[in-house]
Amino acid sequence: MADSVIQIANLTRRFGTRTALDSVSLSLPRGAVYGLVGANGAGKTTLIRHILGLLKAETGSVSVFGLDPVVDPVGVLSRIGYLSEENDLPGWMRVDELIRYTRAFYPKWDDAYADELRQAFALDRSAIVKTLSKGQKARAGLLVALAHRPELLVLDEPSSGLDPIVRRDILGAVIRTVAHEGRTVLFSSHLLDEVEEVADHVTMISNGRVLLSAPLEAIKSSHSVLGRVPSLDEIFHTRVSDRGV
Amino acid sequence: MLTRRSALGWEFWRRHRWGFRAIAIYFALIAAIKLVIVIRGVPVVFGSDVGFAFAVTVPITVSFLYVLAVFTYGLSGDLAARESMYPARMFTLPLSNAALVDWPMLYGAMAMVSLWILTRWLSAWPSGFSIPYVWPATLAAALVMWTQALVWLPYPLPGLRVIVAVVVLCVIDAIVLLAVYSKAPEWVVVVITAPQIPVAYAVGRVAVARARRGVAPDWRFSRAESRVMRAERLTHLSAAEAQTWYEWRRNGRSLPVWVAIILPLELLLLWVAGTSTSLLIEIVLGALATPIVVATFAAVSVSTTGGSTSHLHGLPPFIAARPLTDAQLLAAKLKMTIRSTLVAWTVVLVATPVAVCWSGTWPTLRDWARNVAATIGAPRAIVLLVVIVAVMVLSTWRQLVQSLYFGLTGNDRLIKGSVFVSLLLASILGPLAIWIVDSERVGVIWSAMPLVLSALVCAKMLAAGWVVARLVRARPLTDGTLVMGAASWTIAVMALFGLLAWLTDAALIPRYLIMLVAILSVPLARLSAAPLAMAQNRHG
Repeated sequence: MADSVIQIANLTRRFGTRTALDSVSLSLPRGAVYGLVGANGAGKTTLIRHILGLLKAETGSVSVFGLDPVVDPVGVLSRIGYLSEENDLPGWMRVDELIRYTRAFYPKWDDAYADELRQAFALDRSAIVKTLSKGQKARAGLLVALAHRPELLVLDEPSSGLDPIVRRDILGAVIRTVAHEGRTVLFSSHLLDEVEEVADHVTMISNGRVLLSAPLEAIKSSHSVLGRVPSLDEIFHTRVSDRGV
Repeated sequence: MLTRRSALGWEFWRRHRWGFRAIAIYFALIAAIKLVIVIRGVPVVFGSDVGFAFAVTVPITVSFLYVLAVFTYGLSGDLAARESMYPARMFTLPLSNAALVDWPMLYGAMAMVSLWILTRWLSAWPSGFSIPYVWPATLAAALVMWTQALVWLPYPLPGLRVIVAVVVLCVIDAIVLLAVYSKAPEWVVVVITAPQIPVAYAVGRVAVARARRGVAPDWRFSRAESRVMRAERLTHLSAAEAQTWYEWRRNGRSLPVWVAIILPLELLLLWVAGTSTSLLIEIVLGALATPIVVATFAAVSVSTTGGSTSHLHGLPPFIAARPLTDAQLLAAKLKMTIRSTLVAWTVVLVATPVAVCWSGTWPTLRDWARNVAATIGAPRAIVLLVVIVAVMVLSTWRQLVQSLYFGLTGNDRLIKGSVFVSLLLASILGPLAIWIVDSERVGVIWSAMPLVLSALVCAKMLAAGWVVARLVRARPLTDGTLVMGAASWTIAVMALFGLLAWLTDAALIPRYLIMLVAILSVPLARLSAAPLAMAQNRHG
């Protein structure tokens, strides 16, 4: 597909005897909010790591912006904003140092936007990252992922374990990002109601296999029974039980 | 079902069972040998003290240090940090502060005393030394408990823990050594060491109570302005420079800081050395060797990139997702090691002459230097001095980067295994060299040297060839970089060869032998493999 940000074809990944991804094929359209849903251990993070080039495709291929992320990490990663599930920001940095350090990597860094986000997230410039609360760390991570206005924003379980206020900030930021400039968001979560609120397109993954991948509205309309539209949660559980996984 | 106390003990066992098993196997072997001796009634006689040290002293010392590290929780955590090294997760257990202190201290003291009992029982044979019974046990218990207390205590400044621990433990040791050298009876040494046990326990209780309440005074003065200036400088950095800054802040400062802590203690000896020329030269050489020795240990942290304990060895996603090539990530690390080496050596080259002049030992050393210049000629003496310093600087850098390959793989087992092998070799090489000299096998070893060195060069070149083939296939580096690397290595080897050839007598040391030494001295295979390790770590 010409207007795809991400193209994945027959991607399989094994860790020892365990198959983490099993012939996954996906095409992520530009300008949409793309929800990747599945239970913990389903393979969401492994898939995201392939997209970022942090895992090399053993079988199949991964292409981001038409480039191989392993072969050309600069070409790919400079256009991506990434918030890790693990929140692994360097604890010894101050917030100001974190912002300026990250700024050095992105030519399109927007200082005014970064400052706007810092104020919106109530982050103290002089605070040391390791002294921040979990929610504040998530906001700091989100700030450095968003401030260069990436073409693709990848959020790996951004809200797990966070309070509703931080979730609201994150979701708000996602929506703002999409509203501005028609950029793309890939958003993984095991909280299906959260995905349902913001995603245009949903991929359900279970035991490394893609169960379903389609626009959210199409999924809902195809699963409605007698005019009742089921929730994404119900659809997911139906699909999982249908596949016996 | 585990009780509370056995659960704490079980955790020590579970995490360090392989180390404990290794110690048990060593003592079982020694005990078996002793049993054979008792039955056969034939004493084992070591050829020298070095042989005894090699077979008995070194393993037992390593065992004591290992047990000390285990029961202080010193194998995990940051020794230089302000925060307590007592595992924070244990503060949430439904245990009183007393229980958190009592059991680890009791287990630690019991382990050290048990080690001493075994050592005492076994070392009665074959040394023939007069070995005391009680005071080493009380000293061992006091040392482990003091170390636990000092390591668990939160401090107001980063690095203060190291200074306080070194001072306290050295003072305790010095007092005991003074008593032993004064031939004080055993009960006197026991009277000195035993009362320290309750004192160390009380300090441990205070330490854990403060750590559990989160009491950690902060004496760091506010440096808001300098922080802003530092952050401003960051604004103008390129991506590669920013990554070098990250590596420097994360790992680069440890070598210079440790050198700055250890060096003054070594140079203090200049004040008590008197006018003994040989002793003064040994002290100065010891001071000059400090960065090399410290670099051996600093190398472990230098090769890591992890920002957190969960990513201590692997590349954390935050770094792996930087828009930099693998080569740029590696280059940042190498630049940091060069800067770290240069800063450490600046400390040494400033502090050592200052200490020599200040201590009044300069005239003695100057006379010795004049004698050397008169013997070999002034130009050669000057070049020799410059070469020695340059070789030491390069050796420091080499120590920092030679384990880079292992660290960059992110493979925990490989990293720990390489550290273990390095420590083993470090503990064996000294006694082995002395044994060779003492046993008059120098001639045999010397005549076999060409063969040994040739075999080592063959192994090195084979390894390098394999690495280059993989580099060409995997292409983490451009062709230009590969050619530049090969040319730089060749120039370095030829320069070293030329220098050594100029300094040595061809009649004494054949030129081909010097070439072999030059080839072995300049890092190649493991350094070339670093990009492969980085790629493996980053891309799985």
